[in-house]
Amino acid sequence: MDLYLLGKQSWDDSQLVYHAMAKLGREGLILLSPRSPYVCIGFHQDLFKEVDVDFCRSHRIPMFRRDVGGGAVYLDGNQLFFQMILKRDDPRIPASKEMFYKKFLQPAIHVYRRLGIAAEYKPINDVIAGNRKISGSGVGEIGPSVVFVGNLIVDFNHDMMAHVLKVPDEKFRDKVYRTLKENLSTIRQELGEENAIKWNEDRLNEMMIEEFSKLLGPLNPRPLDEPVRNKMDELRDIMESDAWLTKIQSRISSLKLKIRDGVHLFQKVHKGNGGLIRADFEIHEDRFAGVSISGDFFCYPPDAVRILESMFEGAKRSEFKALIDAFYSDHSVETPGISIDDWVMLFDTGEKA
Amino acid sequence: MDIEGYNMPEDRYYEEGHCWVKEEGALLMMGMDDFAQKLAGEIVYVQLPEPGKTLTAGKRFAKVESGKWLGKINAPVTGELVEVNDELENTPGLINQDCYGKGWMFKIKPSDKAELSMLIHGPDAIRKWILADIKKFAKT
Repeated sequence: MDLYLLGKQSWDDSQLVYHAMAKLGREGLILLSPRSPYVCIGFHQDLFKEVDVDFCRSHRIPMFRRDVGGGAVYLDGNQLFFQMILKRDDPRIPASKEMFYKKFLQPAIHVYRRLGIAAEYKPINDVIAGNRKISGSGVGEIGPSVVFVGNLIVDFNHDMMAHVLKVPDEKFRDKVYRTLKENLSTIRQELGEENAIKWNEDRLNEMMIEEFSKLLGPLNPRPLDEPVRNKMDELRDIMESDAWLTKIQSRISSLKLKIRDGVHLFQKVHKGNGGLIRADFEIHEDRFAGVSISGDFFCYPPDAVRILESMFEGAKRSEFKALIDAFYSDHSVETPGISIDDWVMLFDTGEKA
Repeated sequence: MDIEGYNMPEDRYYEEGHCWVKEEGALLMMGMDDFAQKLAGEIVYVQLPEPGKTLTAGKRFAKVESGKWLGKINAPVTGELVEVNDELENTPGLINQDCYGKGWMFKIKPSDKAELSMLIHGPDAIRKWILADIKKFAKT
C-alpha cells in the first residue's frame, strides 16, 4: 500500500488530502500534522450551534466541515494524524463497525504501549489510558472508499477546546473544561515533560508505520501526485466555501457533547405549556451526574426541583421515567403546565430505556 | 419473523445494505432494518434530503451516523423522494426504538414498482440472507 509521509501541512490540506484520495478511490496511509490550529466539525453538525464562530474568527482560527462522523474538535500540530483510505470492498475491512475500530486502532494502541502508556481499546472507537481518552477517531464512507481518521495526542489545549465550542454560558464552559481535563489525556501528561520530549513526530510516525504495516502489509513511501493535488484544489473550492461550512442548520436547541465514550455533557431544553424547562447534566458511564434544572416555569414548593435534581444524581440513565413518576407521586409537587411527559422529553437522552 | 434475535417482518422487502421497503399504496416506505440498527448502536444523525430528489437504485442519496461512523444509504429502487420522516431530525434514536414503525425514514414514488422483485423477499430468502450476514459479521 502507498504511504504518504507528509510531515507538517497547511491546516486545510491536512483535511483535503484524505477527502481527495477517497474520492479518487486511491488506497493509502497518510501521516501528517497541521502547521496551524483549526476547528473541525463533523459532517452532521450545525456550525453555529456547535462552534463559537465569533471567537474563532476573532482569534483567526479557521473552521472546516469534514465528511466524517463525530463532533467538533480543536486540532493543532501537537496532534499527529493518521488517515487510512481503503476501497469499500477491500477484504481487510471487517464487516462490523466495532471490529473495524478494534482492528485499525491497534497501531495507535501499540505505539502508546511502546512509549510506556497503558493504552487499551474501549468500544466503540476510543483508545483510553487509565480511564482517559488519548486518541480520537472517526470513519466516513466517501466516494468509493472508506476513510478512517484518527490521531496520536502529544499535547492538547483543553482551554482552547473549551473556548471554541458554543456553550450556553460560562458556567457550562467551565464544566466542559473540567470534564475535558478529567477525561482526556496526552502523551505529555502520561509520560511527563522530560520523557515525552524524547519522542518527536518522526519517531512516533516511524512506529506508526511499523504498526500499520502489520495490518496493511508493506507500506511504500511516495509523494502526492498531480491527480491528488488537482482533486484537493477542486475540493478546496467546495469545502472551504461558506455554503459547505454552514450547510446544516439544525432546529434542535439542545446540546450534547461527547467527551469520550461513556462521558457526555448535555444541556437539554424543552418547551411545555407552562414554560421552558432546561436541564444541564452529565451522563457518566450510564449514570446521571451534576444535574441542574432551571427554566421559566412555576413550581410549588419552589425548591422542589432540588429534590428532583438529587433524585437524578447517580441514577441509571434508563431509570429516568421511573424517577419522574416517583417525583410526582412521592412529593406534593405542582408544576402548572409542565407535565410528566415534558420532563420525560427533557431527560430522554435517546437511548432505549 | 425472528431470526436469531433479529426481528425481520416477512411483509417487507429488503436490500443488501439492510434497508427495508414496504408498499404503501402507490408509494414505498423505507427504513433501516433491525439487523442494521442493532449493529449500528445509537444512531445520532440521519440526513433528510429535500423531497423531490431523484433516486437511482443502488446509488447513495442520504447519510446516517452512529459511533462516529458516517455511512451511506442507498436507494432501493429508482424513483422520486416524496416524503421524509422529520421526527428523525430531533430524534434519530427512533430508529433504534422502533425501526419498522416510528423510525421509518423515507417515502419514495417508484418509477417502476416491478423493481421490488430485485429485492430480498419471502421468509426463505430473508432467513437465508440474514443467517449468512450473521455468520459474516461474527467472523470479522
